[in-house]
Amino acid sequence: MLETLQSSLMEAAGNLAWTKWFSVAFLLVLGGVLGGITGRGVVRLVESRTTRHHQVMIRRLCFYVVFLVFAMAALRHAGFSLEVVLGAAGILTVALGFASQTSASNIISGLFLVMEKPFEIGDTIEVETTMGEVVAIDLLSVKLRTPDNLYVRIPNETLIKTLVINRSRFPIRRVDLTLGIAYAEDVEKVQAMLLGLAEDAPACLEEPKPFVRVSGFGPSSVDLQFSFWVPKEEFFEGRSGMMIAVRKALDEYNIEIPYPHTRVYAGSNSDPFRVQLMAPGKQDDKDFPDVDKNP
Amino acid sequence: MTDLPEGQRDGVWAHPYQLASGQTQQHQLGHTHLWLTLLDREWQVRFQVQKPVSTADPVTWYETVGHSLPSQDIPIQRFIRSGDNGMVRFFPAMGNLPTVIRPSQPLTVAAGGRCVLYVGTTLWMKVCVGDQRTELTEVPLAIPSRTWLGRNTMEGELCYASSTFGRLALEAVPKRPWRAVTPVTLINRREQPLLLERFNLPTPLLSVYRNERGQLWTPGVTVECETDMNSASLRIDHLAPKAAGPSERLAPAREKLARGRRLVRAFDHLFG
Repeated sequence: MLETLQSSLMEAAGNLAWTKWFSVAFLLVLGGVLGGITGRGVVRLVESRTTRHHQVMIRRLCFYVVFLVFAMAALRHAGFSLEVVLGAAGILTVALGFASQTSASNIISGLFLVMEKPFEIGDTIEVETTMGEVVAIDLLSVKLRTPDNLYVRIPNETLIKTLVINRSRFPIRRVDLTLGIAYAEDVEKVQAMLLGLAEDAPACLEEPKPFVRVSGFGPSSVDLQFSFWVPKEEFFEGRSGMMIAVRKALDEYNIEIPYPHTRVYAGSNSDPFRVQLMAPGKQDDKDFPDVDKNP
Repeated sequence: MTDLPEGQRDGVWAHPYQLASGQTQQHQLGHTHLWLTLLDREWQVRFQVQKPVSTADPVTWYETVGHSLPSQDIPIQRFIRSGDNGMVRFFPAMGNLPTVIRPSQPLTVAAGGRCVLYVGTTLWMKVCVGDQRTELTEVPLAIPSRTWLGRNTMEGELCYASSTFGRLALEAVPKRPWRAVTPVTLINRREQPLLLERFNLPTPLLSVYRNERGQLWTPGVTVECETDMNSASLRIDHLAPKAAGPSERLAPAREKLARGRRLVRAFDHLFG
């Protein structure tokens, strides 16, 4: 019985073509070892020029490439046809396609952005709530530097889909200031004063002409809109400088910027309330102990 | 800030002034007050451009040499000396941006007609030292006011706004040592009258001449409007204008027009 088992095993073993399987296994092991060696060798070459992240990626890539080559050779040797593998590769490609939908969309959006040129490197743009200077326009995204020196990456897809404001496209910009003056003041006098300020300001351009418009009668004040044009680089200094000058001039001419006014009535037609301030110390509060008083 | 002037004189363009180490030369020209100090190893330049207080138009150029310096608030520019002998000259320069000129009221030139406008533009003063006339810096002689000239707010260019209107009579143009006069000839070759509200003088392309009376002139400019309201060709003469009389050239133009190119500038009307 044992002998029959032994002889049938030996027969099967003989039919197994050991050499072939040995070579397959040998190829796989060789592939793995060589892959490791190649990976480490390549990383040593580029060590100084790449980050750790890249080094790990390169090593893995080399290993897998070399291993894959040896694995394919081993499979060929073992007699498997590669069509099966290729078929699997086809399915893999479809899976990859679904996975890379966003990236492909970003790449195509990037191409459209490059053709359309809504902004260039160096322009200041505003996307949703983020504003910054464009430092790079890449394949998948646009990189901004915010005024407080943060690095922002915006995918191209977002730029195609949403509103983008380019603040640097046109050479001049209009500064709009709103101010409210008391109802008692002479509006035309204030208008003349503001236009005089615009004439004196160095940043303010003579043309397009500055103007002052009454934009509404507010609850406490007459609202004016004071607009003037400045070169785009001087927008913030021009606006700030003008606001300082307006404040000074209003003080000089004694023109009041009113606080909100509200009248309080006791009843429908009664006199306003009388409010009288009590001097401190005359209060007779039994609830709060006063350190200075006798206990 | 007051000092006893060691003799206040009228300043002169391109005149070699010799300073000794430690001396400060003061200039009051246009709306600008300039202090130039010579020390053993450096030149120091301080200047202050005053806002015009009223419609007063400063007439003369005062120059004195003394030892007093202005207050500390005025920023100072320092230049290392390299082998100059303490000699300094001042040269006029036209603005680096084109200047927009407006006649005092818009005027109409009849079809086929022409008119000559005289315009005055504010100059910059270049401080040049030594025999090589090394330029240290340049100083504006009035606060330059800027404006925008273009078909709309999207296309166009930033220009200086002229502080004076264009005048038809030469006598009406105020002659000042800190302004240069340019005669502009307008030729209307169209069949309709031409309304002129403003036009663009290519200031960087004009050189500065001085005539025998010490007045500063630039070469004349001829503008021909042929068919379209929006494009007119502009030619700059090569020499001082006839109205100036015999003149010498004090300063070359800042930029040169490429040979053979005729400038085309727009007659731009104000956008809405």
